[in-house]
Amino acid sequence: MTLRNKACVVGIGSTEFTRNAGRSEIHLAVDAITAACDDAGLEINQIDGMSSYGTAGIYAAEMAPDIDVARSMGIPNLKYMGQTPWGGGASCGTVAHAAMAVSSGVANYVVCYRSLKPASGTVRYGRPTAIPAEYRYSYYMPFGFASPTSWVAMFAKRWMHETGATREQLGQVALVQRENALRNPRAMFYGRPLTIEEYMFSPVASDPFTLHDTCLENDGSVALIVTTPERAMELKQKPAFVSGVGWGTSYDAHSMTSYYRKNIGLPECIEAGKDVFKMAQMTPKDIDVAQLYDAFTATVPMQLEAYGFCEYGEGGAFCEGGDRIRLGGELPVNTSGGQLSEAYIHGMNLIAEGVRQIRGTSTSQVDNAKNVLVTGGLGVPTSALILTKGD
Amino acid sequence: MSVEYNPKYMQHFYNPVWESFEDGYWEGIKQRKLVFQKCGECETFSHPPRVMCPNCKAQNWVWVESSGKGRVYSWTVLRQEVHPAFRVPFEVVLIEMDNEEGVRIVSNMVDCNPDEIDFDMPVELCFKEVTEEWALPFFKKVE
Repeated sequence: MTLRNKACVVGIGSTEFTRNAGRSEIHLAVDAITAACDDAGLEINQIDGMSSYGTAGIYAAEMAPDIDVARSMGIPNLKYMGQTPWGGGASCGTVAHAAMAVSSGVANYVVCYRSLKPASGTVRYGRPTAIPAEYRYSYYMPFGFASPTSWVAMFAKRWMHETGATREQLGQVALVQRENALRNPRAMFYGRPLTIEEYMFSPVASDPFTLHDTCLENDGSVALIVTTPERAMELKQKPAFVSGVGWGTSYDAHSMTSYYRKNIGLPECIEAGKDVFKMAQMTPKDIDVAQLYDAFTATVPMQLEAYGFCEYGEGGAFCEGGDRIRLGGELPVNTSGGQLSEAYIHGMNLIAEGVRQIRGTSTSQVDNAKNVLVTGGLGVPTSALILTKGD
Repeated sequence: MSVEYNPKYMQHFYNPVWESFEDGYWEGIKQRKLVFQKCGECETFSHPPRVMCPNCKAQNWVWVESSGKGRVYSWTVLRQEVHPAFRVPFEVVLIEMDNEEGVRIVSNMVDCNPDEIDFDMPVELCFKEVTEEWALPFFKKVE
């Protein structure tokens, strides 16, 4: 009994990525889901399941709740609803939930979506207005330790100290992803090249992170449609098979402040990695292209280590000069430009790009890409997916 | 330096909330004592507090006062304003305690230029009032 290849992504859809969408999260979700249905060749009313996520914590804000989106689209019934916790860590988990739902017969066509508008809306990520009435924050907020950038900077600084990774190496992550965005007309940074000089002299936000180490702030929504391989045969697109899924919290997991483990690192990614590769019956060597969650540059080399593409301490060197991670290299990463340069949709746009690589329709297409690893946010409980062309 | 507070926003950021199993920690803070959970069965330390010992699963925590001695495990200097309540630049440090195995705590430095901070720099506890009601545990360099 395995979930391997029991479900596939058959539709992807997105709104524009913009600084001001001029409409609500519910409206954005409706537009992305409509586009995903068009892409798949599916009637809106055939959707019978929804899998989504909000921000992290007990006040997890899902501003486009499933029933509001369903009602706005006139969807007659939802047989499956799932919310995956912990913000961007949930992204691949929504597809895992959908795969379980369709393969078990609970629902037939599950839409996974994320809709957010931190650029123009009322909730700006990383800009708190008060201590949330949630116990964990009492250990951080009174010290001004109040933004995801600073929370991840604390990990990254220790990691750089332990491994000798350099800012130049992190800069190559930003540059390679920008190169990819320059080929992607949907990207927020399309037409906006980045040089290593601009990167190195960019103002520090929370060291070691500068402006160019941190993801975009934008409005937008991305949706995916998941169904069974049998149903996929009747639809328009070449399916991207869900060959592996993995979740992980590891021990002593906090929401972005897992600072109390023996070694700070990304053990949640190591756990998710074990399971996603085991289910897919693969090793990292089988992966042709990876979409690695990139709210910050450093998390790319840290994940190269955690997911087993190199040993601990070698992630920085893996990114040196950028050749191994750029198009044509040994493991091209974040080929849409990722969240540093395409858009920040809490990782959902990384999954859509993974599907494009399997279809052969990426603007930075990897030749004959068969197996794609996509990962969710880290420093929080995380999730991962391997998408393939199927057996 | 430690973070400078804008008094206008005090009540938004400096009044901690906690769960019942954390009472011992915050009662300690009220008395200007930094205390950590130590398992009464297997002597495992835990911070932040939790309900059950992760090692032996006992619910027999003893609140032990810290020696207050530690070393800088990591830190970051915030230079971009996150909220007007916190005047940049200031540093946030992650201190690994010397005498409580495996315990780390997030705080700020007192009387310390961010440029002076380094990995493994020895520090010691000092309480500082942040509101009329609350003094919080900060750290200073060991001279």
